[in-house]
Amino acid sequence: MISQNALRHAEKCRFCFMCRHLCPIQLQTGKEVNTPRAKGLLLSMVNKGAAEFDKDMAQTMYECLICDACVNDCATGYQPPLYIREARTEAVVNDLAPQAVMQLIENVDATGNIYGVQKPSFAQEGSDVLVYIGEVAACKVPQMAEGLLKVLAKAGVSAKVLDNEPASGVMLADLMGYVDEVAQQAKACAAAINATGIKTVVVLDSYDAEIMKQRYAQWGAEINAEIITATAYVAKLIEDGKLAAKAACGTLGACHDDDRLARTFYEFAPIRAIAKAAGYQLTEMFNKERLAKSCGSAVALAYMPNIVTKVAAGRWDDLARTEATAMLTASPEAYLCLSQATPEGKQVVDLYSALAE
Amino acid sequence: MQVKSFMFDMIRSELEDVVGVENVSTSEVDRASYTVDYFWLSRMWQDRGAEGPKPDIIVRPGSSEEVSKVLKIANYYKIPVHTWGGGSGSQGGALPMAGGILLDMKRMNKLISIDLNSHSITAEAGMIFQQLEWYANEKGYSCMHIPSCLTCGTIGGALGHRGIGIFSSKYGKIDDQCMSMEVVLPNGDIINTLPVPKHAAGPDLNQIFIGSEGTLGIITKATFRLFELPKYMKHHAFLFKSMKDGLAAGRDIMQKTQPSIMRLFDEAETISIIKKIIGFEKRGAFLNLSVDGPDERLVDIQMEIIKEICAKYGAEDMGSEYGEKWYENRITFFYPDHIMDVPQMFGTMDTVADFGHVEEIYWAMKNAIESNFPGVRFIAHCSHWYGWGTMIYDRFIMDNPPEDKEEALRLHNQIWNTGVRAAMEHGGVINDHHGIGLKLSRLMKEQYGPAFQVMEGLKKSLDPNGIMNPYKLGL
Repeated sequence: MISQNALRHAEKCRFCFMCRHLCPIQLQTGKEVNTPRAKGLLLSMVNKGAAEFDKDMAQTMYECLICDACVNDCATGYQPPLYIREARTEAVVNDLAPQAVMQLIENVDATGNIYGVQKPSFAQEGSDVLVYIGEVAACKVPQMAEGLLKVLAKAGVSAKVLDNEPASGVMLADLMGYVDEVAQQAKACAAAINATGIKTVVVLDSYDAEIMKQRYAQWGAEINAEIITATAYVAKLIEDGKLAAKAACGTLGACHDDDRLARTFYEFAPIRAIAKAAGYQLTEMFNKERLAKSCGSAVALAYMPNIVTKVAAGRWDDLARTEATAMLTASPEAYLCLSQATPEGKQVVDLYSALAE
Repeated sequence: MQVKSFMFDMIRSELEDVVGVENVSTSEVDRASYTVDYFWLSRMWQDRGAEGPKPDIIVRPGSSEEVSKVLKIANYYKIPVHTWGGGSGSQGGALPMAGGILLDMKRMNKLISIDLNSHSITAEAGMIFQQLEWYANEKGYSCMHIPSCLTCGTIGGALGHRGIGIFSSKYGKIDDQCMSMEVVLPNGDIINTLPVPKHAAGPDLNQIFIGSEGTLGIITKATFRLFELPKYMKHHAFLFKSMKDGLAAGRDIMQKTQPSIMRLFDEAETISIIKKIIGFEKRGAFLNLSVDGPDERLVDIQMEIIKEICAKYGAEDMGSEYGEKWYENRITFFYPDHIMDVPQMFGTMDTVADFGHVEEIYWAMKNAIESNFPGVRFIAHCSHWYGWGTMIYDRFIMDNPPEDKEEALRLHNQIWNTGVRAAMEHGGVINDHHGIGLKLSRLMKEQYGPAFQVMEGLKKSLDPNGIMNPYKLGL
């Protein structure tokens, strides 16, 4: 059902209990089946003919954020997302995926994004960098996209944004695995980027940055430019003195390290530099950097809003044990998820808008 | 009792009324996820493609009151109740062998309080222990209960089987660290043990429920001691010519100083696992230890005394490097590819004894297993030490067990019976910190003799319908 390589990972995880403490969905739902071990065990059972891959099992495979907390923890290097993604492919191919997931895939087919809407355009001309906005910021957190563009303008950076910006493929990859359709999206996106001739691509959403940097080449979708996260790029502008720090705003905040910055890029300092430049006094949540608890992803929020809202609430609980009143983020996905569960007296801050003001 | 026709659905709807529809499940997927814990038999059974023990209904309570109501329902209908925390126990203690209700406690994972005046922390028992430790760490403290299953097991799981952590030689076992508990009795009554662990108000209720493995009630909340995070910790390693010398040195170290970690490996384990994990190449009995404290002078002076003791028993001083390497890799040992796995057959016998018997037990077990079961290797280390004795983390390993699962099960139990009986015959106790579960249940009466009637009396009194975790703990 799944590849031999993915099955090998599942077979190793099926009897290992070591990473369950980090699984944000397990922590919020308390379900055994929402542990990487249980998902590996179930797929092993299917392989042995001892269980059926049915709609319930497919549903289970979607109750995962693919946040990589488990991968990051494994001393040996096994990767639950590998078999979970392949199980999702199986679910879609066999029409077993949850209806909410199938709807998102249909939306992508129809409109190019999971929201099923005409993606708002932030098109502008420029020559220094190409800014890749991504569908989450464009459709759900437009102020963050506007904030980033204002920050770049403030620093004197000539930034181009594509009209009809193509999907990166990251959403489809989370919904149905690394299938041909994702590779096609990647190729189209790479072609559009390469056609600009610009040699620096600033990617606002770290999820988009991840797939571009880590997957595109294997599909023959090389981008002929440097891919850099927006956080790293803006932090460099601050370091180089191209952006002046703002006066202290008097608010104590803690930076949320989003899943990809925390566990793909291991990028921790830039967001803190941006937060300081935006005038925030900083403290830290205990679970930070590589151990930062996920607050959810935009795609998971779209197909299982109740669970992701609980996951986001769990991250707010982490903040509540500090003196901070503001959760600081430069991720449109994190902003969107955290906004679903903002407690009274707390605020989620979009750092680009804060810096741009 | 036989549940007929729509009676099953009637019971299910009663349970849903208590915990909410979303917290009751009878789906095949959910049921299948509870068929395997860390017990070798359940893993082997699954690996051979056979069906493991499934619960009929999974219930995820969110509060002690909900646990209480579920137990009242279970008692009325006389339905077995199995409690599941992290499911990472090695003894089969959580496996739903009798079907019925499986209570997955992981929704009960809230921190209740931290008392920095009394140095204590209280939480619900479904919390993974690492979470509790992080809450303590946030305040600069630690529970100093750091087992290899820190990230896997729940508070209730650690208490239920009398768990232990790597710092036990100084900070004690879970039964030393727990101050008080809330327990839901099988009849649904919610009780609290006394608020402090030391008193003269009769027998200690804590110690009745700690280690009871869900057979006498369900632990729902617990309070633990907090310790300041150690400011200084130093590691060291030594190599002894024999286990005999290492055991004698370990005894003197425990009786004259206070290391927090001390591990003595026999030669078979030194040249296999220690070599693989930390790259130690020599033959002999490897010992690593750690000393911690709030003042570096206290740490240093103890380390000096320890070096003198080890020199007295002819140990080679291996310096701090391998002690540090062991500490850095203390959890690595338990990840896939670093630890035994199916298709191998293996087991950890985990015997505890006083210093007067422990060496004799080590040889008795090694000889009994190696001479009776060709193809079975025996390796051991002593990982938790007391002022009066130590435990032997003795493991048997068979690389090519029988392919037939029933035959493999039979051989597995024969090896266990032989090893454990050899330990008991020479003054050892059946288990130090993994518990009894299903694995050792049949041997409990042999261990206790007439004293077992005390436990049977407790069981009959508290759980007259015998619904709580059947087939476990010999009860």
